[in-house]
Amino acid sequence: MSDEPPQGQMYLYDNITPPLLDGSYRFNVSTDTTIDGADQNLPGATNYFNVEGPRFTLTPSLVAGVFPPRNGHGSFQDNIPHIALSRRTLPWERALDPSGLIGIPTAKQGDPPRPVGPAPWVGLLLFEEGEYTILQNQKLEDVVPSDVYKRLGSPANINCDAVQTTLPILNAIMPSLDELTVLAHVRQVNKDDRELSAGSADGWFSVVMSNRVPEPNSKCCACLVSLEERSDVIAKDPPPDFAPIRVVAEAPVAAAPAAVSRLAVGGISRGQNILQVNPFPFQINVSLVLLYSWKFECIGPGSFRDLMQGLDVAFFGTVANPGHPPVADTGHIKISLGDRAGVEETVMYRSPLVPFQLTRDPLGPYHSADQCRRVTPETGAEDVSYACAFEVGRLLAAADARLAQELMRWRREGYRQSARADTFSAVSATLPLVQPLDVHTPAIPVVATSATSSMLNGRGPAADRFGVNFIGNVIGLQPAAVQDAWQLSTPQEAENILGGDAGTLGASVVAPAATPRPATTIDAVAADAASLNNLSSARDRLIANAAQKVGGTP
Amino acid sequence: MRQAWIQSKEALRLRMIQPQQVAPGEPEAEMPPYMESFLAHLRVLVGVPFEYLVPDSRLLPDESIRFFFLDRSWADRVVDGAIAVGKIGTREQAHHQAHEPAIRQQLDITERIVRSIQMQLGSFANLKAVNDSNPATNGPADVITGFILRSAAVSGWPQMDVRAYSTDIPEPLDPSSADAQNAQLRTLRLELLSPSVMIALFQGIPALVTLEEPHHGVQFGVEPVFGGFQIDERHANGTQILVGVAPNQVSKTVFAPVRAANTRVLSITSLRRALFTAQNSDATMPKQTGGASLAVEVLNPPWRQRFEGTKDNRGGGGQQSSGFLSSLSVAVRVAQPATKAALQTAIQSEVKP
Repeated sequence: MSDEPPQGQMYLYDNITPPLLDGSYRFNVSTDTTIDGADQNLPGATNYFNVEGPRFTLTPSLVAGVFPPRNGHGSFQDNIPHIALSRRTLPWERALDPSGLIGIPTAKQGDPPRPVGPAPWVGLLLFEEGEYTILQNQKLEDVVPSDVYKRLGSPANINCDAVQTTLPILNAIMPSLDELTVLAHVRQVNKDDRELSAGSADGWFSVVMSNRVPEPNSKCCACLVSLEERSDVIAKDPPPDFAPIRVVAEAPVAAAPAAVSRLAVGGISRGQNILQVNPFPFQINVSLVLLYSWKFECIGPGSFRDLMQGLDVAFFGTVANPGHPPVADTGHIKISLGDRAGVEETVMYRSPLVPFQLTRDPLGPYHSADQCRRVTPETGAEDVSYACAFEVGRLLAAADARLAQELMRWRREGYRQSARADTFSAVSATLPLVQPLDVHTPAIPVVATSATSSMLNGRGPAADRFGVNFIGNVIGLQPAAVQDAWQLSTPQEAENILGGDAGTLGASVVAPAATPRPATTIDAVAADAASLNNLSSARDRLIANAAQKVGGTP
Repeated sequence: MRQAWIQSKEALRLRMIQPQQVAPGEPEAEMPPYMESFLAHLRVLVGVPFEYLVPDSRLLPDESIRFFFLDRSWADRVVDGAIAVGKIGTREQAHHQAHEPAIRQQLDITERIVRSIQMQLGSFANLKAVNDSNPATNGPADVITGFILRSAAVSGWPQMDVRAYSTDIPEPLDPSSADAQNAQLRTLRLELLSPSVMIALFQGIPALVTLEEPHHGVQFGVEPVFGGFQIDERHANGTQILVGVAPNQVSKTVFAPVRAANTRVLSITSLRRALFTAQNSDATMPKQTGGASLAVEVLNPPWRQRFEGTKDNRGGGGQQSSGFLSSLSVAVRVAQPATKAALQTAIQSEVKP
């Protein structure tokens, strides 16, 4: 076979025939041998073998795909139903009409050459609801006419499914001999192609198309039927085409509606030849061997293309009839609102879908719907758009119990940490900390260390013990301020007014230098026996005094 | 006895005058996943009743499509309202006030995974982790645009493909090509609001929006016309034969007659004859040898509807649209990505002997 097509591509073939058709074969072996001019033929042998394939039933696993989808609902009225079989030779494994009973189609002027290759032995027929009956597990001889049964080789004990319909319906939809041939083809796709090659191991499919397009709003059943030896139902030439009356120019005025109404009925009226055969053609039932069938429903509004082309395209806020409803330049429309006093009021509302780009409100967050209400100065009307949005969000969230819980959890975590942070800031305002407190690390060691070091360091000597500097800051006692206030020429004058020279208030006091203390250690303290003895005797004294006071002995 | 460093009264006073909030970066300030996901959904208006989106049914008549910009303030207010649940005092208000910028920033990022969550592409935690660490998606908020479509096509073609592009890519457009992928805008939401109403939100301002018929592998089909059907003539490689001068090219069609006995049954013989006649004057069409050449002609690739913004629409009234205006609709019949490639390259029609 030829190479695979690249991914995303496919090759189509008119047909692929197997080397041997299905059937029973006999082969004769004879060997001609000549020895010295004399025939010494070896004894011949005869053997039999069968080539078998699907004939009266079809394993569903051989069906690779169908369109329209099985049990699908959709707008399929412009689609040609087809079935893909995962064996490329399947439609040509049997001969449709080996004895040529159908005949050769009549060639007309302008016809293309007849299709190359044999006709397939299967066909895809599309029935509408009410046109068919599916019979299951029928005896083959009950399904096909007796002469067909005989031509099939009279196989015994064969049970199969069948689809039963009436002869006029079947004649109307059954493809002719050459139509059957062109309705089947073979498709080769890349076997790694995910989309095209669903369900095929080797990338080969045989495809059988129907010739009938589903009627809108109908329930349909597509049936893959075996047409082997069914020369009784396959015509060599197709029935006549429908001739549409395009312009009724010269027809009498009265006649035209009649013609149109007759067409509208459906055009079964042309099946005259059947009427000649039998006066009650609708009672003649025909059965066909059913290999596979699937149903789908054709509902929907027409083709995707027509719908899309017919869309009314505009920006949001465009109305078909301007002014109904009136849409403001800003995209607002008027709505009626019962306010909290129970008074009916006309307010403006704009949905989140706006026809132009808006800047985002930076004044967030809002804490209540009332906070989002706005009044337009031009009209005095209230704009409730954002208040509505707020309420929508609130109601949606309130309807969700889990969200309320999560919100509480979110806040609780936040509060816990923020309470700690507040405490920490109060602590750090009071106590010089050796390192900043962090809400995520234990605070007690830091505070303890800071407290200890602040005790060890002491407060240091007090500067300005008597508050002289502080008093000097009082504005009435500052010579410069007095000079400025009373517009004095020199600072000396101000000093004189304040009661003399600068020494009156005393010199400014600076803190005495801290007594240098050598760094000491616990070991050094422990080694100072004299001091320890002093401490110990002082303690004993205190205990003795206390004992005396309470009148007991230690 | 020594006084405590901090009295409860003093702590309360400090808390009242300057409440300290946990910093947004702290793990305690992070929104619980459920809450973050809920609020992100609200951001793209999931769950907002239809009446709030379309306050008057005349704003969205039957068989219409309306493009729009999303009002971000509106979506922010919905989120504010949701957080207002359980807000009973100043404590909650102070907390919300302090965290709102961080929440808004995070939701600007998280709103981009709402569609993935809806499509159940993974758990929220995983999607968020990937999204938050991806420099392509953790940037600041972008403009959100979209359309709302009320059409019978919404219910008839539930798996419609909707894409938006930042540049107007001409046909042939292959959505899987690198150019198209780079220009494609992120779809933030694509959902049916009712059986016949669909809303789509995109991140950014599109120059081209396409609505494409869903793909079902290879399809065959016809178009109904008076008295029968018609099909588009196709080259042997499956592409349409166009006549006329670009850009006003139209496809060349062949009338497909039907049988008199049943007008839904194609007269294949007559169609073949018509195709044979057409092929005689156009050698690029496949020779009508059998099933394969007929199949090429009745191919019916999915339809792609294009909505293209006009280049300059400013100054045309009170509403300016920044070029994102859907006043023009041009439709081009194209193939699905896989089939389209198939059609552009040769479909070799061979007959095995």
